Order: sequence, then C-alpha cells, then structure tokens
Amino acid sequence: MSVWMLVSPLLMLGLGGLLVMLVDAFVDEKAELPILTAILLAVAGGVAAAGIVNYDNVALAGAPEYLTRYLAFDRFALFFDVVVCGGAALSALLAGGYLREHDLERGEFYILIIYAALGAMVLGHAIDLLTIFIGLETMSLGAYAMVAFRRTSARAVEGAVKYFLLGSFAAAILLFGSALLYGATGHTDLAGIGEAIEGGNASIKLVLMAMFMMIVGLAFKVSAVPFHMWTPDAYEGAVTPATTFMSVAVKSAAFAVMVRVLLTVFGDDLSASAASGWPPVIAGLAAITMVYGNLAAIGQSSVKRMLAYSSVAHAGYAMVGVVAAFRVEEIAVSSVLFYLMAYTVGNVLTFGALIWFGSNGREAVSYEDLAGAGRRHPLVALPFVIGVLTLMGFPPTAGFFAKYYVFNAAVQAGGGMIWLAIIGVLSSAVGAYYYLRVIVFLFMKEPQPGAPIAIPMRSGYVAFVMIIAGYFVMKMGITPGPYLDLAMSAAEQFVS
Amino acid sequence: MSTSNFVLFLVSGGLAIVGAIGTVASRKPLRAAVALLLHIIALAALYLTLHAELLAALQLLVYAGAIVVLFVFVIMLIGPAAEVPSNPRGKITRLLSLVVGGSVMATVSFALVGHTAPRLPMLRNEAGENIFGTVEGMGVAIYQQALVPFELVSAALLVAIIGAIAIARSRTPQEQAVVVERQAERIELAAARDAELAQATAKVGS
Amino acid sequence: MDVGIGEYLALASILFGIGAMGFLTRRNFLIQLMSIEVMLNSVNVMLVAFNRYQPSNHDGQVFAFFVIAIAAAEAAVGLAIVISLFRLQKSVETDLPSALKH
Repeated sequence: MSVWMLVSPLLMLGLGGLLVMLVDAFVDEKAELPILTAILLAVAGGVAAAGIVNYDNVALAGAPEYLTRYLAFDRFALFFDVVVCGGAALSALLAGGYLREHDLERGEFYILIIYAALGAMVLGHAIDLLTIFIGLETMSLGAYAMVAFRRTSARAVEGAVKYFLLGSFAAAILLFGSALLYGATGHTDLAGIGEAIEGGNASIKLVLMAMFMMIVGLAFKVSAVPFHMWTPDAYEGAVTPATTFMSVAVKSAAFAVMVRVLLTVFGDDLSASAASGWPPVIAGLAAITMVYGNLAAIGQSSVKRMLAYSSVAHAGYAMVGVVAAFRVEEIAVSSVLFYLMAYTVGNVLTFGALIWFGSNGREAVSYEDLAGAGRRHPLVALPFVIGVLTLMGFPPTAGFFAKYYVFNAAVQAGGGMIWLAIIGVLSSAVGAYYYLRVIVFLFMKEPQPGAPIAIPMRSGYVAFVMIIAGYFVMKMGITPGPYLDLAMSAAEQFVS
Repeated sequence: MSTSNFVLFLVSGGLAIVGAIGTVASRKPLRAAVALLLHIIALAALYLTLHAELLAALQLLVYAGAIVVLFVFVIMLIGPAAEVPSNPRGKITRLLSLVVGGSVMATVSFALVGHTAPRLPMLRNEAGENIFGTVEGMGVAIYQQALVPFELVSAALLVAIIGAIAIARSRTPQEQAVVVERQAERIELAAARDAELAQATAKVGS
Repeated sequence: MDVGIGEYLALASILFGIGAMGFLTRRNFLIQLMSIEVMLNSVNVMLVAFNRYQPSNHDGQVFAFFVIAIAAAEAAVGLAIVISLFRLQKSVETDLPSALKH
C-alpha cells in the first residue's frame, strides 16, 4: 500500500469540505448537511483507522520528500486523526439536532467543522514549526467563527471576542517562540531542532526563552490555569455543538502538539529533567489546573459553565500524563492518548445529553432547568448520568480507566510525580460533588413552581450520537485492553 | 555591512518603532491604522537590508494593500463608535502590565543584542547566481519544498472566509425576529419599571 | 559601524513588546487587533534576520511568507467579529462586563 492511503483522510476533508459547500449552495431543498458531514468525517476517520491496522504494510519509504518533510504519517498522527474525526463527526450530528431546533440552521457551521477538523488533524501530523502554526491557525479560526456563530446573542459574541483576542495573542507568543527556536538551531523541523539542542549546537539563552514561550502558547490552547480565562466564556457563549467540538477535537489536537513538541524538541537531558527544564513547569501548571478547575466548577449555577470548568480540570489530569512522559515515555504518552480518547466520548455524551434536554429555542443550561427532568424522561436522562459518571471517573466507565492510567503513569515516574498523582486523586474527589449534583437535580428535585420545564427535543441525530458515545464509554470502561493497546502502539515511537 | 545599509537600518528601524508606538497608543483608530501603515512600510525597507526582496514586496502588497485597507474600511463602516472612551478603572493593572511588559522586553532585547552569528555564503542556483531572497529562490522554496504548507494555508484562508461570512453576514429573517422580540421585551420591561417608579413616587407624594 | 544579527533581534523584541503591551493595556478591539499585527510583524523581522545569517536555504523567509498569509486570515475573522460586536452593543470596547456576569 502506498503512503497516499495515510494522506487520504486529510485530502478527503479538504475536498469533501468543498463538496459540502457546493451542496449547501446549489441544492435547493433542505439538504441533509449534518449526515453528509458526519459521513465524510466518519469515512476519513475510518480510513485512518484502517491505516493504523495495516500500518506495517504501508510503504513509507517511498513517500515523496516534500510530504514527509512537514507531516509525519506515524501511528501517533493516525491515532489523532481517528479521535479528531470521531469527535467532529459526532459534533456535526449534534449540530444537526441542535441548530434546527433553535432556528440557527445555516450550512456554514458544517463547513467550519470540517475545516477546523482538518486543522486539528494537521496538528496531529505536524513535525515542523511551520505546519504546527498553520494547523493551529486553521483550527482556531474555525473555532472562533463557531463561537461567534449565534450572532444575535451578546454572550456568544463576547465569548468569541475573548477567545479570539487571547487565542491570537497566544498564537503570536507561540510564533515568537518558534522563531527563536529556528534562530537558535537553524532548523524548523522538530527532529532537526531536537538534535541540534541535544548536540549542544544551540544557544542555551535562545532555547530557554523559546521553551518558555512555547509552553505559554500551548498552555493557552489546552486551557491550563492561569491561561484559561477564555474557556468558561467561550464555552458558555458558543452554541453547544461548537462547545462539544472545541472541548474534544481542539483540545486533543493541542495535546498532540504539546506531547510532540516537548518530547521531540525538548527531549534532551537538560530540558527534560526534574531539576531543570519543562517537567517542573508543566507539573506546576497541571497541579494548579486540577485544583482550580475543580474548585471553580463547584461554584457554578450553569451546567454548561460547570462543564467548561470541568474541561479545564480535565486538561490538568491529561497534563499529569504529559509530565510523566519525561521519565516513562511509553506508559505516560499512551495514558495521555487513552485519556483523550475516553474524554472525547465522555464529553460528547454529556454535552449531547445537555443538548437533548433543550427544545424549540429553549435550552437547558442551569441546574434548575434540569430539576426533575430525569423522572419525567428517564431515557433521556440515562446518557446524562453515564456522561457525568465517566467525567467523574466512576468505574466501570471509560473515565475511570483514563484517570487510572494517567495517575499510574505519574506513580511509575516516581520522584516528585507521586504528589502530583495524589493532588489529582484528591481534586477529582472534589469534582465528584458537582458531577453528582447534576444527578441529584435530575432525579431528586422538583422544578420551582412557574419555572420553565425542560422538554427534550425529538431528534434522531442526537439519539444516534448518544447511542454511539454511550456504547464507547461503556466498552472502554469494561474492556479497556484493545483501546490501551491502540494507544500503546501510537506511543511507541517516542521510546528512545 | 555597508554604511548605506547601516543608515537604512537606523532609519527604518526607528520608523518601525515610531509606527508601532503610534499604533498601540493612538486614541483614534484611524490614526492607529495610519501609524500601522508607517510601521509596515518601514519594515518593508528593513527587509531590503536583510536580502528579502520578495518579502519586502509582499509586505507592501498584502499588509499595506490588503490588511490596512480592511482596517480602514471597517473603521469607516463603524464610524464614531470605533473610538472607545478611556476607562478610569483598571489604571493600576494597566500601569502594572506596562512595567512588567517593559521590563521583560528590556531583558529580552538586552539578552539578544549581543547575539552573534557567522555570516555564511548565500544560496546560489545552478548557474552560480545569488538567488537568496529573490523571486527565483523564494519561488523554488515555496512551490517545491513548502508545497504542503502552501496547500494547507489555502485551507486556512478558506476557513477564514467562511468564518467571516458566518459571523458578519446580514441577519437571517429568523435572527432578526429574535432581535426585534428581545428589543420589544426590553422596552416592555423598561415601561413596566417606569410605571412602577411613577406609582412609587405618587405614593411618596401623597 | 556594523549592524549584526543581535541588533535586528533586539529591534524585533522591542516591537513585539510594544505590540504585547498595546494588546494588554488597550480596551479597543480594533487597536488590540492592530497590536497583534504588530506582534506578528515583529516575529517576521526575527525570522528574516535569522535567515540572513543562515542563508543556505529559505526556511525563515518562507516561514515569514506564511505568517503574512495567516495574519491576513486572522485580520479577516477578527474584523468580522468587530462588526458583529458593533451590531450588538454599538461599541467595540472589549471588557464590557455586562454580558459575561454570571
């Protein structure tokens, strides 16, 4: 098999996006864009998955130089192709239910999802500072537009303003760091930079400044505290399918870059040591992210905003795995990958259930909106319960093993990493409070007299997404083995 | 480096700093846009001292020709609202960020000013001509080596166009209805509040 | 009377700092957007300067070329958000606390 099979998911999205645009423009009837988009993304993800299975048969050696110079076609990248495509396909289906129900149906949304997903996939493949920057901007520009999509809502536009300004600022900082790395080593490809730094051919002064700036820029993108200020506002203001997309695809891709940059560029003994370099910095960020994210989530009265803070906290848990990678590379990287996969399905499930509880222009966003809804509509509440349980890390759901593997990686790394695992366990215990509160409101409260009652929408799309996401959440919780193997094989290349 | 280059560096570098300060410090956005134009033209001149002829031209075409014009266009569209009255709150945070930013900038630039690098021979083509920074050299670099990023950047531009349309296109009838409804609600609320107030004052008066 | 790479880098970081400070202190979306353009431009100076001292390929200049393209895309989306913001609140001030209080 030729290398083009591994390239084809990218090509499919690039060309398929054009197709969706044409359909949107020229098909008069209400075209079923959500299905078209979801099928396109699912096929691309499926081809990437087939690429992983048949990876050993692919003739990578014959790949043209102009291709492999900027993009890697390794299992790690293909893994992210699958995760991003899956998350994006499910978000597109959720949008199919949501936008129609709330009178926001405009075809641009699906095209933005497709191209933002393309940017996210490029980030997974990127092995050059140039492609990292372009992929990041493609993804972010799509995400900014998705947040501002509900143009009549002041909250949406304010969220977009904040997200755009801080996101562009972070991108500029990241770019400054990239320029310093290029200047220090004379290379823009990550491997070349890493070799130059390891060989001592780079000015330490420039490399240190660059490392600091790259970490700040990436911390913004994964929304680590204290660079998370945009997250609650953008997540709350955006239409919920866009929030879903941002919390799964955008975040996974940002972690892909973080892992690749830290391990490839700063993988030398000086940069990746517990005493100097990035591990203590990331460890500190992870600790405050976990603690702050969980504490801030408690105080929220809006479920959507609570889920935004919970996604901040989850970034902290994943970063625990990233730190541990400086010592136990394979275990730690695979735990991060498994975490992102489990988090993707869990988050789609939870946000999807939240979407399901809104109908006819009226969304359920606060705890009060959900009061008693579970008793009135038990079938609709079931995915919500499973969703919050997996985000909480309750066995036997995917979230439990995800947290277990990440903290296990930290313990395996030993040294100062053990306290990080302890902070993680303690703060996720705190997190149980606000997740369980959702269940309490669903089943044990009654709505205030005169308060609006949440009525679920009737949408085959949303129901379908719930089934798929719920299936994977339970499957990864009951038999995590094959998924962990997949993550392991993707992580293998970082073993030195 | 020849003396003419040195003079050009001083002049264009100085103008670039003046332009940048004018951009960030102007109260009126239109003045800021003109200062940005000065900044951009000065940088184009600076690129000439660095043997980046094609980039200098692109800088003028894209930045001065497209981006600044876009800015001016939007400022004109928005009219007087483009100017934001200065906010007395947050002066301390602003001062603090100026101090912190200034010190970081001073340290970084001081650390960089002594940085040296050897001057290596420039890229030549097969005929032995110097093609560094020329259209020929950059053309080969962009269309042969950087083909993949070039294709990817087209996706970025496409997403920007679609995004801009999705955000700024005129409202659909449904959206307009939502806005009108909300305005009506607001007027109703205000009327109710006024009535309440009138009642309360009447009560106090009697 | 010689200008080395260090002087260019110092100039670039001064410009970056001016842009960053403008971004952090101003509350006018348009000016903040222009500050980001200044920051991106300063990175371009740095890339081109580094390339001048490693002139066996065009990596830095090609990078700067793409940065210019992306900056244009970013400006387009940013200005669209400006227009959307203006339509809603008749102002382009960015920290109006009204909408985000929760």
